[in-house]
Amino acid sequence: MKLPLSWLNEFVTVDADADEIARRLSCAGLVIETVGRLAPQFSGVVAASVLHVEKHPNADRLRLCDVDAGARGKFKIVCGAPNVAAGMRAPLALIGAKLGKEPPLAAATIRGIQSEGMLCSGRELGLSDDHSGIIALGADAKPGDDVAEYLHLNDTVLDVEITANRGDCLSIVGLAREVAALFDAKLRMPKPEHARKPKPGDAIQFDVKIEAPDLCPRYAALAMTGITVGPSPVWMRRRLELCGMQALNNVVDATNYVMLETGQPLHAFDWAKIAGGKIVVRRAGKSREFVTLDNVKRTLDSEDLMIADQEKELGIAGVMGGLNSEVGESTSAILLESAYFEPIGIARTARRTQIRSEASYRFERGIDREGQVNAILRVAELIRETAGGRDASAVSDLEPRKAQARKIVLDLGAMESLLGVSIPAATAKRRLIAIGAQVSAAGKNGFSVSPPPFRPDLNESADLIEEVARLSGLEDIPATLPPRVAALAPRHPEREFIRGSREVMLGCGLTEAATLAFTAPADNARYCGAGQKPKPVRVNNPLSAELSELRVSLMAGLIGSLRFNLNREAASVHLFEIGKTFAMDGDLPAEAIRIAAVSYGTYALSAIGEPGVKAGFFQMKGIVETYLDAIGAGGRTAFKPIEAADAPFLHPGRSAIVTIDGEAAGYVGELHPGEAMRLDLAETCAVFELDLKNLIAYGFAPRKTIEAPPKFPAIRRDLALVLDRNFPADMVVKTIRECGTGLLEHVDVFDVYEGKAVAGGKKSIALACRYRSKDRTLTDEEVNRVHAALVEEARTRLGAELRD
Amino acid sequence: MAELADGADAAQVETVRVRVLGRSGELTEIMRGMREVPAAERPAIGNLVNQIKREVEARIEALSANLKQAALERSLGEKNLDVTLPGMRIARGRIHPITQILERMLAIFEDMGFEVAITQDVEDDFHNFEALNFPPHHPARDMQDTFFVDGGRLLRTHTSNGQIRVMEQRRPPLAVVCPGKCYRRDELSVRSLPMFTQIEGFMVDRHGRITMAHLKGVLSEFLRAFFGPDTKVRFRSSFFPFTEPSAEVDIHCLLCKGVGCPVCKKSGWLEILGAGMIHPNVLRAVGYEPGDYQGFAFGFGVERPALLLLGVDDMRVFIENDLRFLSQFPALSGGVR
Repeated sequence: MKLPLSWLNEFVTVDADADEIARRLSCAGLVIETVGRLAPQFSGVVAASVLHVEKHPNADRLRLCDVDAGARGKFKIVCGAPNVAAGMRAPLALIGAKLGKEPPLAAATIRGIQSEGMLCSGRELGLSDDHSGIIALGADAKPGDDVAEYLHLNDTVLDVEITANRGDCLSIVGLAREVAALFDAKLRMPKPEHARKPKPGDAIQFDVKIEAPDLCPRYAALAMTGITVGPSPVWMRRRLELCGMQALNNVVDATNYVMLETGQPLHAFDWAKIAGGKIVVRRAGKSREFVTLDNVKRTLDSEDLMIADQEKELGIAGVMGGLNSEVGESTSAILLESAYFEPIGIARTARRTQIRSEASYRFERGIDREGQVNAILRVAELIRETAGGRDASAVSDLEPRKAQARKIVLDLGAMESLLGVSIPAATAKRRLIAIGAQVSAAGKNGFSVSPPPFRPDLNESADLIEEVARLSGLEDIPATLPPRVAALAPRHPEREFIRGSREVMLGCGLTEAATLAFTAPADNARYCGAGQKPKPVRVNNPLSAELSELRVSLMAGLIGSLRFNLNREAASVHLFEIGKTFAMDGDLPAEAIRIAAVSYGTYALSAIGEPGVKAGFFQMKGIVETYLDAIGAGGRTAFKPIEAADAPFLHPGRSAIVTIDGEAAGYVGELHPGEAMRLDLAETCAVFELDLKNLIAYGFAPRKTIEAPPKFPAIRRDLALVLDRNFPADMVVKTIRECGTGLLEHVDVFDVYEGKAVAGGKKSIALACRYRSKDRTLTDEEVNRVHAALVEEARTRLGAELRD
Repeated sequence: MAELADGADAAQVETVRVRVLGRSGELTEIMRGMREVPAAERPAIGNLVNQIKREVEARIEALSANLKQAALERSLGEKNLDVTLPGMRIARGRIHPITQILERMLAIFEDMGFEVAITQDVEDDFHNFEALNFPPHHPARDMQDTFFVDGGRLLRTHTSNGQIRVMEQRRPPLAVVCPGKCYRRDELSVRSLPMFTQIEGFMVDRHGRITMAHLKGVLSEFLRAFFGPDTKVRFRSSFFPFTEPSAEVDIHCLLCKGVGCPVCKKSGWLEILGAGMIHPNVLRAVGYEPGDYQGFAFGFGVERPALLLLGVDDMRVFIENDLRFLSQFPALSGGVR
């Protein structure tokens, strides 16, 4: 809402500059976005009354005018404007006047006659592009008055952000009331003149019927006749423009002006277009089409509230009028409407039709429940003044449903215990009266408060406490600390787990990334996770098709970030992310927490001159193992070869499913060469992704029992087995563990060899076995015996050959 | 002994050792010939030979030690490195700046006795709006443009759903902060992200225990702990459907220190937080009787203060993961200051 201070000053006078007004309003909940200081682009221009006009003796298109500029004197002016006429008031630039960037105006002789100044057009004063004629000032412009002042060009306009609860402040009067309350000033509210009794011949008979009192509890109407539709006076147009509205004609402008002033939206119907002299306020009843005055065809819902006549709809109530009853140049009689429409109905219709008009904006937020008659009288007053209208009826005021009286008890003790400070009763009372409430004492320590009808947001004691606190900008309230919570808050296991996971990734040299949860359907299909076929969650109103689903996996985002960096000089990229993923679980979306990483390029360059390590399967698997070990889940993990069909984006021979306690938890591997090509990657890209749900449920701390360090030394024996090339190493280890006695403490693969020394299609796998007893030092002979038995057993079971 | 002078090298020393002390060395030979010496003279000669042997051995040992030391020193010179060359370059990880800032904020609240709760991103209308006193069709819903998803659900527009989720499950006293992602239909641009981070916090206790003065105290303390002890804090009245009275909380502009600059729109103040006393309708929605309990709630976005703190003017840096940006941060949780 724009607030021109010149307009504000009509209702309240405060001894403060614009910045101070802005500060106080901002602190009281009406934030001032900007303070706009407007200045005219001219000086030395005064209002002048045109006394006499005659033709220029030497030029057909020029005229000689005698003008009266009051105390400034009388002048002879040469004027070329076609609209100059005796009796009009116009802006006169005096000799020496500054117009825009032009040099000061000098006396000029035009076709032999001296002009002692210049009558000005809109363009000459920098007010508009209009150069078709001189500006006609209103009759209230006194000769000699400064035109810049008269046109309010020296205004300051505050841009006020109005929160959804303060519909009352979508008006100059509402804001003036706030300013008065904040500065302890008096609000001046002129009472509009009562409707005049129609002259004989002017009377118009009409009939209003409210068929939907649930949506329209009050409807006031007034007929006027004798209207001459034309442009509004400059001052009115200027104010409309300052408030961001376009001036149209003197009737529509008057309704808009009063809406801005009082907050009550008004509508003027062309009387000639109302069939049967009848206004019916009713629901649309069935779906139908209707053309609004912006010339757009709208489809109506049966529930939409309409203003109709005997035959047809005339407008969508409180939202927008119809083209069929619009006031135009030929209009000579009008019917004015000033109604109260229920916010919820207007909100529903406005949202459904996507019409956000100044009227619907105000109705939705709740207007003054009792302001209808005053507003219609005020607009009649203006139309009489600016459009020559005469009253053609009394005000018809139907109110089928009265507003419920609100009485709220405000207990000062309750106020103190909510705010944490005692506010004196007199202060609280003064502030409540200032916002328009009626306040009377109730009990020993409280008030009975009737909120004003323009404050539908005040319904319970907390609302009133807010008002009292608000009007001091919350400055009454001290800042104190609450007593400390005695019981220590429990640690949040999920957060602790995520924090720990993040630190392990950091230790592994990965950088934390953050990506959007929105993704493209193609990416969801592509990176759906090994062996999983989740049903993505679709966004019904996405920002774009590329962001139209919620991610089922973190991989698309990480690969996007990889691409982003490769396009910007990066040679190696190692990123991880911990975040939520989404998939449908039956009919409802479900969330999961995952950890994922992408690794590309050199991972460890090593020192200068020494061989480095690049991203690849074993590098990434090492990170996964480090992570799972760190969180105490290492012993429950296994890696299984991936099925090509399960994860088309992964290399089928260089990827694995990660299982925890036998259940698939994610994958680790290299991107499929085809996928790498699609992404234009020159080097191997390794990735992993794990669902953290089971891991978090298991907990962070290792659960196995902790043992003291061994007291007796271990003895190592190695063996090498020759097996088929595809025989998995973890099966060999598992078999050896099974064959070993209680003395076998640990088995580890330390080398794998393929080449000349073994047959084609075979590999040699070298393992180290560690033997130890808990209660004595083992002898070589004993270990040799046990190891020989183990080797023989394992060799037989695996069908392997022993290699020397 | 002349051959075992100070300048003798390793080969000379070894030659002498073999010649004198070796298996067929001079002294060994003498000892071997002892039986031919008369018994009476044997002790004297034996002592003499042993004395000579000890002297020669000591001399050789001393020389060898010197020689080893010299060799060691020579080798040190040969194995010199250019210590200015880079060290072993393993990949170095960083923690995302938003995580670091979020963790620091949460740590402050934890120090003040708040616990952390994590709640869901995909919500129903009740927990995101209705329970927070946004009735259907209420214009306040326009303040937040919502993403709707399958299953009749929406993406939470604020972390305030955490307030409802926690209060539904538990009874006061409660002091909780709920960090998380929120979603609003804002274009991805320099000024806005469609997904961003918020912290919601609330403190509820029996009626009269937790007041608006405490809200001011806790938030002032938080802002000073986060932005520095000299931070100036201002509370302004405002409107949120789920709090009453409501407040917006400003700090003195970090850039111009309150003088007025483009960042603070010349006001000298930066809006950081929204807060207020929990609205009676919210308490009712979670089954609390407003006469029994009261408390405060607050919420704020993390990205905006993060930009101010880092002096960066483009929101997109937080989701682009440009390593040239991320690698500037310390690799410590909560390290950004």
